[in-house]
Amino acid sequence: MMSFNKRLLAAMAAVSALSMGLAGCGSSPNDASEGSSDGVVTITYMHRLPDSEGMTLVDDIVAKWNKEHPDIQIKATKFDGKAAEMIKKLETDVKSGEAPDLAQVGYAELPEVFTKGMLQDVSEYAEQYKDHYASGPYGLVQVDGKAYGLPQDTGPLVYFYNKAEFAKLGITEVPKTASEFIDAAGKAAAAGKYIMSYQSDEAGNMLSGLAGASGGWYRVKGDSWVVDTETDGSAAVADFYQQLLDAKAVTTNPRWDPSFDASIKDGKLIGTVAAAWEAPLFMTSSGGTGSGEWQVAQLGDWFGNAGKTGPDGGSAVAVLKNSKHPKEAMEFLDWFNTQVPDLVSQGLVPAAVTEDAETPTEWAEFFGDQDIMKEFKDANNNMGGFTYMPGFSAVVATMNETAAKASDGSGKVADVFSEAQKTSVDTLRNLGLSVAD
Amino acid sequence: MSAMHTANRGTGRGAGSRRSQAAKRANRTGWAFMAPFGLLFALVFILPILWAVYSSFFRQVTVGGGAYGGGELVDKFVGLQNFRYVVTSQAFWAGTGRVLLYTLIQVPVMIVAALVLAMLLDSFIVKRVTGFRLGYFLPYAIPGVVASIIWVFLYNGQISPIVKGLSALGVNVDFFADNIVIASMANITTWTFTGYNMLIFLAALQAIPHDLYEAARIDGASGLQIAWHIKLPNVRAAALLAMLLSIVGTIQLFNEPQVMAISDPSISKSYTPMMMALNTSQGTLTPGGDGPASAIAIVMALIAGVLAAVYALVERKVNDR
Repeated sequence: MMSFNKRLLAAMAAVSALSMGLAGCGSSPNDASEGSSDGVVTITYMHRLPDSEGMTLVDDIVAKWNKEHPDIQIKATKFDGKAAEMIKKLETDVKSGEAPDLAQVGYAELPEVFTKGMLQDVSEYAEQYKDHYASGPYGLVQVDGKAYGLPQDTGPLVYFYNKAEFAKLGITEVPKTASEFIDAAGKAAAAGKYIMSYQSDEAGNMLSGLAGASGGWYRVKGDSWVVDTETDGSAAVADFYQQLLDAKAVTTNPRWDPSFDASIKDGKLIGTVAAAWEAPLFMTSSGGTGSGEWQVAQLGDWFGNAGKTGPDGGSAVAVLKNSKHPKEAMEFLDWFNTQVPDLVSQGLVPAAVTEDAETPTEWAEFFGDQDIMKEFKDANNNMGGFTYMPGFSAVVATMNETAAKASDGSGKVADVFSEAQKTSVDTLRNLGLSVAD
Repeated sequence: MSAMHTANRGTGRGAGSRRSQAAKRANRTGWAFMAPFGLLFALVFILPILWAVYSSFFRQVTVGGGAYGGGELVDKFVGLQNFRYVVTSQAFWAGTGRVLLYTLIQVPVMIVAALVLAMLLDSFIVKRVTGFRLGYFLPYAIPGVVASIIWVFLYNGQISPIVKGLSALGVNVDFFADNIVIASMANITTWTFTGYNMLIFLAALQAIPHDLYEAARIDGASGLQIAWHIKLPNVRAAALLAMLLSIVGTIQLFNEPQVMAISDPSISKSYTPMMMALNTSQGTLTPGGDGPASAIAIVMALIAGVLAAVYALVERKVNDR
């Protein structure tokens, strides 16, 4: 037993530690949007950009603005965590009036965030910046024809492959059709190499993008949603991956598991579909394996849509409901989202069309001196439109889980899309939205 | 608390009025000592519980009409609808079944292991007890999430020295296989908490008066007999405590599956009730929002409470016999 004095001491230590924690809660960094009497407007901005070594840090970009605009001062905060966690945090902050003025919101989540009542209509300010952005992404920041922010980057799906390894296997070019691809994959697998990965933890984002390239899943008719996730595009995607899985000609490591990185490092994985923003992440994953031999190519005609591509990720920055200075926030936002070279350094394919994005030398080195930003831009121009429904994150979760069952053979890839249908309808109904039969 | 007791006893000798005054003062002192704890307890424990109970009667829905609901979610009073959803949810009961199965396997293994280790340390077989004690306890000092991450690396088929070593011996294991993954999780929990429970047992063992051992030895009892007939019955209370803490802890299973889901995406968002509650609040499960999430948490707390009470009752019945 502790002596009484010791216990008291321990109790006091515990209390002071706790109250320190409480004090920490009280002074939120986000209550600066009040704007002070001296005419200086402070705008807070929360993002989930990678902000890692070798990139132009968000704080440095912001510092440039702050220097030139003494009247509009920006405070950026990085959120370390998943998109769903950030949305939950912002949702709570909006309710308590502590939310930042600007926040990064993925296109797939924007309708959801709107429905949750977190966004502010900034159409009157957005209009003048419209020409700075590609029309597709600009449209994705709109709900019902009203704008809620400006697009930042896009995530067209492309194909990464190791050209030298392909040549060694006698595959001279990226297969053009599904059957050619499956043949080549079988040939590669026989040599212990894989030219495609099936990533169950990215299924919701990637497979919806690949299927969406052939046509959208969600349509608004009157005041109701028309949901069809089991389109011809979906069937083509399911068939393609199912054949690869059945032939054991595809890796099944989840994208964000160390085993995925290991599969590139030991030279097994020599080709995969990837979102454009994955380029620097992929370079890190590879640990330099095959540097100079990798290439970026457009998707072939693998899913019966003449090689169209779809979106996987990509984000807008939205103006949140409580912002008292939407005009100033939008002014900064347009400036920030058109800092093309800085955004490229963060691994983004900017949505801005104000200047051409140049491929950073480090990336060009890894991707065999290729101008991969140009490839990404081409992919962007070849991207099918895809409308996301509110509550799409629940659909993503279901798809990932179902996709994992297909990778160990206890389910089929087609189930991913049938489960998506069920969850989509349930989610919309549970939100109190109407679904057309 | 003990200060209050001694103060009360000390005033027993004084006159009536002085006694009640002193008692009042002592009471006040007692409450003053309680205040910091009481305040924080109310603020970070009682209040959130009340808030959770309150919000469990609401659901977050749109009322604005149109395809997007008008851009506003409102809290709609739904009575017991959230609870009806929870108790009729297949996912919830599947998750509950999983943690119950987990508890059933993991807790006894861990408690027995902890008891054996404590007995060993308390016996005369082991010298330099401090080193062992610290060693066994050390895993507990590692945060649960970190422990899970370490083990995920050790389970990973492509980088784990364990998996590679076993396969060199001709044994191919997949720690993430559907029927093994729960055992892999149980292993992490056991590794983390055995040392902690061992300490509970060790403290109880060392509180046993040594005269008992002497008496037994004079009567000719062997070391094993002493362990069986003296030590074991005397750590019953500690065992009850350890079991209760473990049952309540494993029902709330969260860290291990949450971290392992990175490597095994088939671990669903509703794998355990705690994961289901979190993901419901984040809207990656539907119906989403704080209302249904609170209802899940409350039903789970009730289940854990009932289980702990049942265990304590059964234990008492068995021991009284």
